[in-house]
Amino acid sequence: MSGWDLRIEDVRYAYAEVEALRGVSLAIRSGESVALVGKNGAGKTTLTRLLVALIRPAAGHVAVGDWDVALRRPDEMARRIGYVFQHADQQLFARSVREDVAFGTRRLGRHGPVDAVLEELSLASYADVHPYDVPAPLRKLVALAGVLAMEPGVFVLDEPTAGLDRSQRELVVAALRRRSALGVTVLAVSHDLGFVAETAERVLVMESGRLAADRPAREFLYDAGALAALSLRPPATAEIGRVLKLPDAPIRSEEVAAAMRGVRWKQNPE
Amino acid sequence: MTPRLALAGVTFTHPGADRAALRGVSLELTAGEIAMVAGAAGAGASTLLLVATGLAPRLVGGTLAGSRTIGARRCGIVFARPWTQLTGLCSTVEDEVAFGPASLGRPLAEVRAAASHAIRQLGIAHLAGRDPAHLSGGELQRVVVAAILALGPELLALDDPAAELDPAAADALYALLPSLAADGMTILIATPDVERAARVATRALVLEQGTVVADGRPADVLPVTEVGSLARAAGCPPPYPLDVPALLARIAPDAGGRAHDSSDAPPAGSGPDTGAIAR
Repeated sequence: MSGWDLRIEDVRYAYAEVEALRGVSLAIRSGESVALVGKNGAGKTTLTRLLVALIRPAAGHVAVGDWDVALRRPDEMARRIGYVFQHADQQLFARSVREDVAFGTRRLGRHGPVDAVLEELSLASYADVHPYDVPAPLRKLVALAGVLAMEPGVFVLDEPTAGLDRSQRELVVAALRRRSALGVTVLAVSHDLGFVAETAERVLVMESGRLAADRPAREFLYDAGALAALSLRPPATAEIGRVLKLPDAPIRSEEVAAAMRGVRWKQNPE
Repeated sequence: MTPRLALAGVTFTHPGADRAALRGVSLELTAGEIAMVAGAAGAGASTLLLVATGLAPRLVGGTLAGSRTIGARRCGIVFARPWTQLTGLCSTVEDEVAFGPASLGRPLAEVRAAASHAIRQLGIAHLAGRDPAHLSGGELQRVVVAAILALGPELLALDDPAAELDPAAADALYALLPSLAADGMTILIATPDVERAARVATRALVLEQGTVVADGRPADVLPVTEVGSLARAAGCPPPYPLDVPALLARIAPDAGGRAHDSSDAPPAGSGPDTGAIAR
């Protein structure tokens, strides 16, 4: 499993009445883990859909590795990019969770690690359950499991933690960190800056169809001014790090916990 | 005062399910309460909202045992997936929000007033002329909340109402709830976003496999949050703090007598202070 780089050059796209992308250019290196943030309606989802050929730009150029996306169909793009929709219900259709998770890898003519992925996301006990009988938040994990089993070189995830509780969110974080360690490229649209802190090394900010900022995650998450300008609040880890003036601007929870080891705690809340 | 909702020993089973989604649930909700429901996926929180608002079993089928009294004159529910709740009949957001009160046969002037009030409450006046079919998920979620508020419910059930919202919009939505409750609305929220809900909830119910295992003040009964888990990893003794201000308040003064208390923390989103990180 190795990653592909992504290149988007001066891309424009409009829905009937709204210009969703107004000339966006960006490049993501193979193996990078990047978060795409911005307000509702900023164009984040539109941008990700261009990458997998679900929509075609009105102008501009999109490339995934040496593939020009304009020349590819969505099913071809699935060989390189695993895409998880914002609403998992849109991509589940098989009769059982296991069949659903196996569908993508089978279509690629491979035998992906279906059972291992079900274990990894704590879905093994649901393997024989119909996807629509699985609690709604877990359907998102089922959709993610399907693309993990395809072992693509790139993951594009639209709000992968929305609706998930803490333990489910930790499963997603751990799964993505493992893929990043293998050199897979990750692009995740997210409002969840806690998730961004745990997974991303770089943050792209969309605003009204344009790329408004492109910064290292550590620097961006500690920049309370920049966050406030975007109506964003720092994640708990960066907030703690900033107030306690922890060294090295930690953003991952294990980094913050380690930096706080010397702290003396009151026994009880006042 | 008649409770807005009274459940006594309620057990509910979805159609075709082999085990009950709610088991022996008893609770009363009164006017002005904001109760949050916490629990793992599948614990029954969404089902509790369907039962509380009378949609289950009437609309979704299934069987209900035990006693349920819905004292609220009107119940509203907001689902986690907003597009499932659009009428599909309205070409503008304004009409979409007006649809509910209009379908109750209210006079036109009242319908318009209710719709524009709800649109203002949700901060979506800029979307009023847009086609709901062309909105983003977060925009749509606020439209749906406005459409339900325009109905004037006495009991409002919110199923992960901020799932699609950006953080500022999510904060704004939760910040609206205490004022609705102050006007007498009873609010029941199911969400995995425990920290945000706990800021406004007056009460928390914890569900496990369909049973209420805890019911009390949020700080007393909620499970360990992300911040709590971090505090535990950093050596904080229980009870673990729910959020950052609570964590900072638990830190004892260091040898120099300096306390890292929450007064060090400016309000969320306040001015830049990026130079303070010791390196």
